[in-house]
Amino acid sequence: MVKAELIKRSPLRVFEKSIHGGLGPGNIGVLASPKGVGKTACLVHIATDKLFQGKPVIHVSYSSRVDYIITWYEDIFKEIAKNRRLRAAVDIHDEIIKNRVIMNFKQEGARTEQVLKSVEAMVTFGKFAAQSVIVDGYDFTQGTCGDLAKFKEFAAKLSLEVWFSASLKEAEAEAGLYDAAGIPVVLTPLCASIDVLITLHATGDHVELKVVKDHGHPAVGLLPLKLDPKTLLII
Amino acid sequence: MSTNNAKMRNIGISAHIDSGKTTLTERILFYCKKIHRTHEVKGKDGVGATMDHMELERERGITITSAATYVEWEGCSINIIDTPGHVDFTIEVERSLRVLDGAVLVLCAVGGVQSQTITVDRQLKRYNVPRIAFINKCDRIGANPLKVRDQLEDKLRHNAVLMQIPIGLEDKFRGVVDLVTQKAIYFDGRDGENLRVEEIPAELADEARVRREALLDAASMFSDELTEALLEDRATEALIHAALRKGTIARKLTPVFLGSAYKNKGVQPLLDGVVRYLPSPADVENTALSLETEGAEVKLTADDAAPAVLLAFKLEDGPYGQLSYIRIYQGSLKKGDEITNTRSRQKVKIGRLVRMHADSMEDIAFAGAGDIVALFGIDCASGDTFAAPGLAVAMTSIYVPEPVISLAIRPVDNKALDRMAKALNRFTKEDPTFRTFVDPESHETIIQGMGELHLEVYVERMKREYDAEVETGKPQVAYREAISQAVEFDYTHKKQTGGAGQYGRVIGTIEPLAEGTYEFVNEVKGGRIPREFILACDKGFRAAVRKGDLIGFPITGVRVRLSDGASHDVDSSDHAFQAAAIGAFRQAYRKAKPQILEPIMKVSVEGPSEFAGNIFGTINQRRGIIVSSVEDGSFSRVDAEVPLSEMFGYSMVLRSLTQGKAEFTMEFLKYGRVPAAVAEALIAEHQGRNRDAGAK
Repeated sequence: MVKAELIKRSPLRVFEKSIHGGLGPGNIGVLASPKGVGKTACLVHIATDKLFQGKPVIHVSYSSRVDYIITWYEDIFKEIAKNRRLRAAVDIHDEIIKNRVIMNFKQEGARTEQVLKSVEAMVTFGKFAAQSVIVDGYDFTQGTCGDLAKFKEFAAKLSLEVWFSASLKEAEAEAGLYDAAGIPVVLTPLCASIDVLITLHATGDHVELKVVKDHGHPAVGLLPLKLDPKTLLII
Repeated sequence: MSTNNAKMRNIGISAHIDSGKTTLTERILFYCKKIHRTHEVKGKDGVGATMDHMELERERGITITSAATYVEWEGCSINIIDTPGHVDFTIEVERSLRVLDGAVLVLCAVGGVQSQTITVDRQLKRYNVPRIAFINKCDRIGANPLKVRDQLEDKLRHNAVLMQIPIGLEDKFRGVVDLVTQKAIYFDGRDGENLRVEEIPAELADEARVRREALLDAASMFSDELTEALLEDRATEALIHAALRKGTIARKLTPVFLGSAYKNKGVQPLLDGVVRYLPSPADVENTALSLETEGAEVKLTADDAAPAVLLAFKLEDGPYGQLSYIRIYQGSLKKGDEITNTRSRQKVKIGRLVRMHADSMEDIAFAGAGDIVALFGIDCASGDTFAAPGLAVAMTSIYVPEPVISLAIRPVDNKALDRMAKALNRFTKEDPTFRTFVDPESHETIIQGMGELHLEVYVERMKREYDAEVETGKPQVAYREAISQAVEFDYTHKKQTGGAGQYGRVIGTIEPLAEGTYEFVNEVKGGRIPREFILACDKGFRAAVRKGDLIGFPITGVRVRLSDGASHDVDSSDHAFQAAAIGAFRQAYRKAKPQILEPIMKVSVEGPSEFAGNIFGTINQRRGIIVSSVEDGSFSRVDAEVPLSEMFGYSMVLRSLTQGKAEFTMEFLKYGRVPAAVAEALIAEHQGRNRDAGAK
């Protein structure tokens, strides 16, 4: 398969269609689930899809070591290349690496202002014309409402779409993880700043994706997509 | 001197730049009574640390050449190799590591694990060198040795075990609590030479107990005896030391010591640690390669009575001739012994055997197995193996990277010409990453090395040590050319100009080769090209790849498949087929979409976070790719891949942009494709040069 076809036939086209054309610049999207379900895999798959399209991505990470994140990208790329029998994989790989920057922050020391300042420095001084920012490992239980609003303001200012992962801790939610509308309790107060919210649910041999907030539109619920736990690809 | 090698240690001191390695070495020499006074590296007294014996090093405050020195501590003899910290000189580090049995990894209590620490640690791993860590500069503002210990675990994957906890930090750093003896140690006297041992301060008692538990847990993993003793509450210090030693030598545990060499604190316990936990030559297994049965490994025993095997790992030009630093892997050496250089097969007689202390030396009559000493007046290259007559072995070759940068040099006058030749001869012997040759076209002398600073240092040494003043050209990057697609060739070389003619025809393909520089595959069947000419074809192709058409640099990554051809009974010859091969390659090369490759460096810039933006900018301006940036509090590290050709003068730019607060290291990563615009400029430049040469 050549690259153009791979982009066209990516399951992420279905994903984008389900949320009315994708996240879009200036918007905040969140993937939420308990630990170990596959948020990072989904985020890296979304980022890799952007990279295939030649769109630069900044991957902000609060927890993992840089080499772990790079391994994530390598694994997802390898799986896609294998799965779709991608032609000229080595050249494409070299090409997409140029469009990816990983920025790692240690949570204790990293205030949101400082993180945003550094990301902005990467875009302006580093002349890195990112369109998407992936934020993995941000702790929503620590953050305040103001923090997410700052991200949203920042996204609008620089015309970025920002994807977050939110780890839900079962132990902390006595009345269950989700409210009646399927929104994770921990995110309910932040909902005003979130444009797209998707929850991940492990069921049997795969992981389901459920849209619980879709811009202003009524959410479609379960997506006709799932996450394969073996390859960690969206299929 | 003791000849029992259980009481011998060969250690290196490895660290990131400015971690205080040289100061630490200096203090060790002082406490071992090798010197009578201590000096600072960039000393106000203008004397400089004793290990930095080259004038140039004193001026720059960095250590360039490893000097070996010998000390005694508590009845144990220790050979210390002071290794250079700058990445441009890593060949020195690697060569030193080869002969070490153990190492002290020095870390800064403020900076922690830095980019160069990672590099040297990887090198230590490559040579299986067990290590203990010393967290230095505990007196500095921002010192946090506990954080540094965590980094040893997170970033370097060490099973790092604190042997001590600090008593106070920063300007209140007074001493350490030894977790094995459970005593506080203070360092009194002008130079901290008097150890005062007291009870643990009450406020540290709880922490000491917790940390001691962790230490015992880690140690007991390596000794059932200790585990049992702990259960029965009868663990002795000796049992704990033995278990820690076992873990350290197996490279599964890293004891961590604390101190401040500058403030004369913590060095003596570190020396105890060297003796207690690092291996003796007998604890380490070394092998040599047999030269008789190809590549077979020969096990060496650190036994004085066995036939001698030694490696010359470093040469130095002294006022009385060449001084060769050697490590004795097996057997022993006496004055008057005869040994053979197994490379040149030359027999030499040992005239003078000396033990080195930085700038002074002591004559000795005997050196035992495992020892590091120096020989006088023996001609050899660094990396040569010597053995007792009749024994044909070589120590495994030391990994030598290819040089990535070259510089044309011109002596200012005839006197300088002679001296320059002498200096170059010496440097190339000393340092395998430093090469020199005369360009057949420009007739200029070219020197090659691992980086701008590497070559700069040699140019300065030429001036200072050999009084050879030279002018230098612009540094030139070692480009390569490569083909990007397979192409068939069919080429006939024919000449009929009276007398014997020339005839040769070659048919086949050239194709890109992912790994390696050149490969020749002979697929000719039925003697279409007579066997005696196949070698000539190979030779012709080899000659052709030496210089590409695009910009005149060597071609790399080509496989030639020779499948068919034709010959003539009378007119075919070696020469004709060589010419046919060269012609065929030139013709096919242009069709194979040749590209220019350039060395890409792995660059790591570290500095305060406030300068992160400036650093991103400098990388971007240099066609670099930022791979990642890590922010840890107020400290940032940016890892990037940048073409070497763009890195000239980077240290100056970085210094001025960040008020000298950021530093960078770089090392060769890979060859990468040059972007089209840059390639065009290079080709135009090359053509211009050719035209000029033609016009002359």
